[in-house]
Amino acid sequence: MSKPPLAPSDTDAAYATALASLGVSPGRLRKVLADRSPAGAWQALAEGRHPVDPEGALRSRATPAVLRDAFASRGSSPVAVRVLGLPGYPESLAADIDPPAVLFALGDLTAWEGRPRVAIVGTRSATAPGRALATELGAALADAGVVVVSGLARGIDSAVHSGVVHSSRAAPPVAVLGTAVDAKVTAAQAALRRQVGTIGVLLSELPPGAIGARWWFAVRNRVMAALAHVVVVVECHTRGGALHTVAAARRRGVCVAAVPGSIRSAASAGTNALLVQGAQAVRDADDVLALVASVATQCPEITGPTGRVPSRPRAAGPARQMPSGDAARTVRRALDHDPASLDVLVRRSGLAIGEVALALERLADAGIAVGEHGWWSLSPR
Amino acid sequence: MLAHIPSAMLSGVDGRRIDVEVHVSPGLPGFTIVGLPDAAVREARDRVRAAVLSSGYKWATNRVTVNLAPSGLRKAGSGLDLAIAVGVLVVGRRIDPARITDMAFVGELGLDGSVRPIPGIVSLVAALADHRFVVVPEASAAEAALVGGDRVRSVATLLELVQAVGGDAPWPRRPRSIDRRDRRAPIPDLADVRGQAVGRRAVEVAAAGGHHLLLVGPPGSGKTMLASRLPGILPALDREEALEVTRVHSAAGVRVDGGGFAVRPPFRAPHHGSTDVSLVGGGSTWLRPGEISLAHRGVLFLDELGEFPPRILDMLRQPLEEGVVRIRRARAAVDLPARFLLVGAMNPCPCGEGSTEGGCRCSDLARARYARRLSAPLLDRFDLAVALARPDVDQLLGGSSGEATPVVAARVRRARSLAHRRRLRCNAEIRTSELDVVAPLSPDARDLLERRLRVGSLSARGLHRVRKVARTIADLDDAGLTVGVRQVAEALQLRAARSALGVTSG
Repeated sequence: MSKPPLAPSDTDAAYATALASLGVSPGRLRKVLADRSPAGAWQALAEGRHPVDPEGALRSRATPAVLRDAFASRGSSPVAVRVLGLPGYPESLAADIDPPAVLFALGDLTAWEGRPRVAIVGTRSATAPGRALATELGAALADAGVVVVSGLARGIDSAVHSGVVHSSRAAPPVAVLGTAVDAKVTAAQAALRRQVGTIGVLLSELPPGAIGARWWFAVRNRVMAALAHVVVVVECHTRGGALHTVAAARRRGVCVAAVPGSIRSAASAGTNALLVQGAQAVRDADDVLALVASVATQCPEITGPTGRVPSRPRAAGPARQMPSGDAARTVRRALDHDPASLDVLVRRSGLAIGEVALALERLADAGIAVGEHGWWSLSPR
Repeated sequence: MLAHIPSAMLSGVDGRRIDVEVHVSPGLPGFTIVGLPDAAVREARDRVRAAVLSSGYKWATNRVTVNLAPSGLRKAGSGLDLAIAVGVLVVGRRIDPARITDMAFVGELGLDGSVRPIPGIVSLVAALADHRFVVVPEASAAEAALVGGDRVRSVATLLELVQAVGGDAPWPRRPRSIDRRDRRAPIPDLADVRGQAVGRRAVEVAAAGGHHLLLVGPPGSGKTMLASRLPGILPALDREEALEVTRVHSAAGVRVDGGGFAVRPPFRAPHHGSTDVSLVGGGSTWLRPGEISLAHRGVLFLDELGEFPPRILDMLRQPLEEGVVRIRRARAAVDLPARFLLVGAMNPCPCGEGSTEGGCRCSDLARARYARRLSAPLLDRFDLAVALARPDVDQLLGGSSGEATPVVAARVRRARSLAHRRRLRCNAEIRTSELDVVAPLSPDARDLLERRLRVGSLSARGLHRVRKVARTIADLDDAGLTVGVRQVAEALQLRAARSALGVTSG
C-alpha cells in the first residue's frame, strides 16, 4: 500500500516554509499559493503584485531575511514539508474543504492512508476516570489497527496517546499539533511527543521554530476532523476546544461520538450535551469499533487491504493465574470493578489488614487487581 | 553599699543565671537599670518602686543603680523584679545580707507588692540549682518544686518575703507536692471510631514505631477523630521526658493539666493560618517556643496540610530530621526541643471528594496544583499515608466498635519495649545500615519488594521506609526477628495514598 516517497523539491519546501512563517491563516495562505509555485507566490508577494495582498501588508513581512532563515532551517531538518497541490501531499487531506496549504510533519505521512482513523479529543481539565478511559481507548483502538488521531494537549489528548504508545502499536498514531513540531513544552509532554513522533506522525501547520498565536489551537482541530472517520469526545466542558473539533466534524459529515458521563460532573457537561444533540454514545473501544465498521460501509477508503475493519484482539500479555490460598480467593470475591478502599475490602472479606494487603499484592502481581492511591478494583481486562 | 542577688531569665526553654547587682551611692536621687534591659525590664523600675512603697518601706533618697550581669546579654521579661526589689531592700538595710546568702529569687511584682507567677519557672529553678534556696511566686510553687524539691520557697507578697528572711515569720506554706495522678479530662477513646479499620491500624503503627502519618480523605472521614486519639495510645512520658515537656510548656506560658506536670504526650493542632514564628518558635526579644516545641514528645497534628503555606511546611523539615529547632538571631541563639510525631491530614483534592470515584469536580490542573503544595522532601517524611473514606450509615449506627484505647496502648507499649531492646526509642529511628540486622526479610518478603522495585512502584528510599514500618508491624504482631511478606505487604498498603498526592513512585 505504500506509495513511492514523493516530496516537493527543496527549493519549493524552503519557499513554502518562508510563506508559512508569515503568520497568515490557512485559508489566506491557500489563496496565496493558489495556481502558483511557492517561489512564484513569494516573488509576487515580495514585489507587491500578488492579488491577495493589494495593500502590501504581507509584502512588508516578506523580507529577504525571512527567506534566508527558511532556506537555512531547511538545511538538514528532519521535518518534512508538504505543499497542497505538490507531490507528497496526503490524499486524505487534499480532498478536504479547508485543507492546510503547507504541512510540516515528522514521521511517515503515508502510514495512515487506507486505515480506519479515529480522532479522540477532550478537555484539558480532565478527571482521573476520564483520562483512564482515554488511555484505555487509545490502547485498545491502536491494538485493533485503528489510527488514533489527537492533539497532544494536556488532559484527554495526552492520555489517549500515552495509551497508544503503550499498546501493541498495530497502527501508527497521528498527532495534530497547535504549535510547531519542535515547540517548547514540559518535559512530560515532550517525552510523549517524541514517542508519538517515533512510532507515528506529528503534524503541524506552523514551521519549526515558529510561535503560533492562540487561535492555531482552534484552527488545527479542523485537521483532526478532516483526517478522522469518527470523532470521539471523551470529556469536555460546555465550552472548549473539543467542541471546535465537533463543529468541524459536523461540517464535514464526520460521525461524532461522545462518552456519557455523570450529569453532575462539569467535565462531562459538554459530552452529555452532545449526546442530547444526537451524537453517538460510546462506552468503550468495542463501541467505537462498531461505529467505525458502520461508517466503513459508507466509506470505501477505510475498508483497508483486507476489506474489513480489523477486530480487536483478545487480551494479550501474561496469562492470569489465580494465586493460591483462601485469602486471595476471598479478597478476589470482595473486589469489584468500582474501586474500593482497603478499608472496605477488609470489611467485605472479614480478614486482617495484613492478610488483605498480602492477597492484594499477589492479585496485583497476577494482573487480576489494580490499585491506585490505596483504592483497589478488578483489572479492566 | 552593694548588694548581689542571684536570679534567672528565660532564653528559649532554658534558664540563664542572671546576677542582679544593686549599688547605692550618694548623689541626686535616681533609679537606673543597666545591662541591656528590654522594655519589660526597664519598667521594673516603676513596679519595684511601687511594690517597695506599698509594702511599707521607704524608698532610698540616694542614687540607685541596678546592673544585670552578664551585661552583654539582652534581658527580657519581668521575672527579675523580685531580685531587684530584694537588692534595693538590702542596700536600704531592710534585709540583712547575711540571711540571704545562697538564696536566689525569681518573680514578677505587682504595684501592691504582690509576687506574681512567671513563665518558664521550671527552667529558671533548674538554672539556679547551685543555690540552697530559690524563692518563687506562690502560684508557681508547685511547678518549681518539680525540679527544685525542698529548695523551693514561695511567697505571695514582698512583705511576706522580708518577714520570712528576717526570721520574723515562718516561710509561708510549703509548696504543694505535685499530684502526679492524671486529673485531666479523659482522652477520647479509640473505640469511639466506627469502622476505619485501616485508619485505626495506621494510628497504631504510627504510635508504635514513631512513624509520621498522613491521612488523606474527604471532609467527615474522621481524620481529626483518629489523630486526636493518638496521645491516648502513645506510651506515657517517663520522668525525664515529662520534665522536658513541662519545661517547654512552662517556658511558653502554656499550662499543662494534671497539676502542672505533663504526664501524657502533648497534642498540638495549630491552625493553618498560624504564623511561622508561632509554629517554629522565635520572637523579637524573648525567643518563645513554637507549636512544634510544644508538641515535643507528643503529636503535632496539622489538619488541612495543603492549606499551610508551603514555606512554613518546609520549615518543619529540619526539626523533623534533628529533633531540635535551631533558632538563630543576630543577638541570640537558642535550640528548642522539637521531637514530635507529625500527623498530617488533607483532602485528596480541593473539592475533597477526590477519593470517591466520579465524585470529584476538580480538574487535573487543580489537583496537580493542590498536590504540589506539599514539597516532595516533606512528603518523604511520612512513612505512613492512608486513604480514608467516610464510614457508611451501617457502620455509623450499628456495627461493633473496635478495640478500645487501653488494648491498643498495651500493644504499642510492647512494640516500643522491643524497640528499646534495640537501643532505640522507636523503629522510625532505625538506621538504614542496621536494617538487615534488626529487620531481616523472609525470602518471599524480599521477592515482593524486589518486584515492586523493578516495576518502579517503589523507590530506594521508599524501600527503607517500608522495611522500618514492616518492622513495627512485625513487633505489633509479635512476629519475631524476621519480617514476613504479610508485614511487608501491609506496610506497602499503609503508604499507598502517597500516590494520590502526585507522588508517582514511593
